Amino acid sequence: MITVTGQCVAAFVFGTTVGVLVQRSRWCNTAALRDAMLFKSYRNTKALLVGMMILTLGFTGFITVGNGNPMRFDVGLNQFIGLFLFGIGMVLAGACTVSSWVKTGEGNIGALWALLFLIIGMFAFSLVWSSTYWPPAPAAMTGQPNLSGLQFGFADALTLQQKTGIPAIVFGLVQFAALFGLYRAILRKERAMQEARGQVPAATSRSSSSRAPAAMPETAVGAAMAGGAGAGGSLQEEA
Amino acid sequence: MELFKKTLDPIIALAIIALLDVFLFLIVGAWTVGGGETMIAGLVAKYVLGAKTLARIPFWSLVFTPTWAYWKIYISLGMGFGAFVAAVLSKEFYWRVPRHLSEWVMITIGGLLMGIGIRMSFVCNVSTFFGLTPEMNLGGYLAVSGIVAGAWVGSLIYKRVLEA
Repeated sequence: MITVTGQCVAAFVFGTTVGVLVQRSRWCNTAALRDAMLFKSYRNTKALLVGMMILTLGFTGFITVGNGNPMRFDVGLNQFIGLFLFGIGMVLAGACTVSSWVKTGEGNIGALWALLFLIIGMFAFSLVWSSTYWPPAPAAMTGQPNLSGLQFGFADALTLQQKTGIPAIVFGLVQFAALFGLYRAILRKERAMQEARGQVPAATSRSSSSRAPAAMPETAVGAAMAGGAGAGGSLQEEA
Repeated sequence: MELFKKTLDPIIALAIIALLDVFLFLIVGAWTVGGGETMIAGLVAKYVLGAKTLARIPFWSLVFTPTWAYWKIYISLGMGFGAFVAAVLSKEFYWRVPRHLSEWVMITIGGLLMGIGIRMSFVCNVSTFFGLTPEMNLGGYLAVSGIVAGAWVGSLIYKRVLEA
C-alpha cells in the first residue's frame, strides 16, 4: 500500500515525464480531433490511438488478474453533455487539459489564461451544483441505474468479467482490434491522399486553397492549429 | 542531448506515456488531469474566499474537500514543470502573448466551457481517452461521443472565426 506522500511523488514524476514528452513531441489532444476533422491531418490522432491500444491491453490485462485501480463512479448523460461542452471549449481555447499545462510551461500566456478560466468555470459550476445537486456526487452513487438522475449505473471491463465469467482481456482484445482497425483505416487514407497529391498536384492545390481560411494558406493554418506552439492565441503569431 | 535537439515522434511519446500510465494505474490510478485541476480550483477558492465562506458551498464538502494531499494535483504541476524544463533545454521557452481581442475572447470562453464540462461530467479529456475508455467503462464511450461531437461543433465555430 503506497502512502499519500508516495502517491504524490509518483504523480509528480509521472506528470514531469509527460510534460517533457508532450513538449518534445508537440502532441496535442485538441489537434488529434480538430485536425482530423478540419484538415484530414492525422499526426496526433495516430499517436492517440496507439496510446489507447497499449492502455486497453495493459488495463484489461491487469484487471483480469485482479490488479489495478479502475475509476468507479456511475455513468450518466452528464458524461456526454459535459464532454460535449468540453470539446467545444478545447477547440476554441486551442488547448486541452494537457496542452494548457504544457504550453504554460513553454511561456504561453494564452494557455495560462485558458487555465485560469478553466478554474473559474469549475468554481462557477460548483455554485450551480450546490443548488441542483446534479449530477449526483460520486459518494452518493450506488452502481445501479438511477433514471431520475439520468444515471445508468456502472459498467466496465471488470463488471463484464464478473457477469460473464469471460476474462476482461478478451474484451480488451476486441477493443484493441477495433482501435487497430481505425488506425489502419487512417494509414490507408493517408496513403490514398499522398497518391492523389502525387498524381494530380494541380487539382490538389486548387482544392486546398478553396478550403483554406481567407486570411492564410491552409498549410499555415494546419501548422498553426497543429498545437505546436501556443493556445489558440498563437495562431496569428505563426501565420 | 538528442531529445532536446529535434522533435520526438508523437507515436513514440504516447507509447511511452501509455506504458507509464499502466504502472500508475497499478499503484494509484490512471492518468487524469481534471480532478487535480478541480482540487487546485478549490484550494485557490479557499485562499481567496476563506475556509468559512467556502464551507457554505456544499460542493466543496460533499464532492471535493480542498487538500494539498491529493495526488492528482501533482500530475498537473509535474506536466507544467516538465514542459518548462524541456522548453528551456531545447531553447524553445519564450513568452507568447495572444495579439488579438478575438483570441482572448475565444480562449476565455473555451476555458470556461472546459471547466464547466469537466465538472459536469466528472471526467476530462485525459481520463476519457487514457483512463475510462481503455478500462472499457461505459462512461468512457459516452464521453468519447460527447468530446468528438463537441470538437466537431467547435471546429465549425473556429473555422468561421478564422474565415471572418
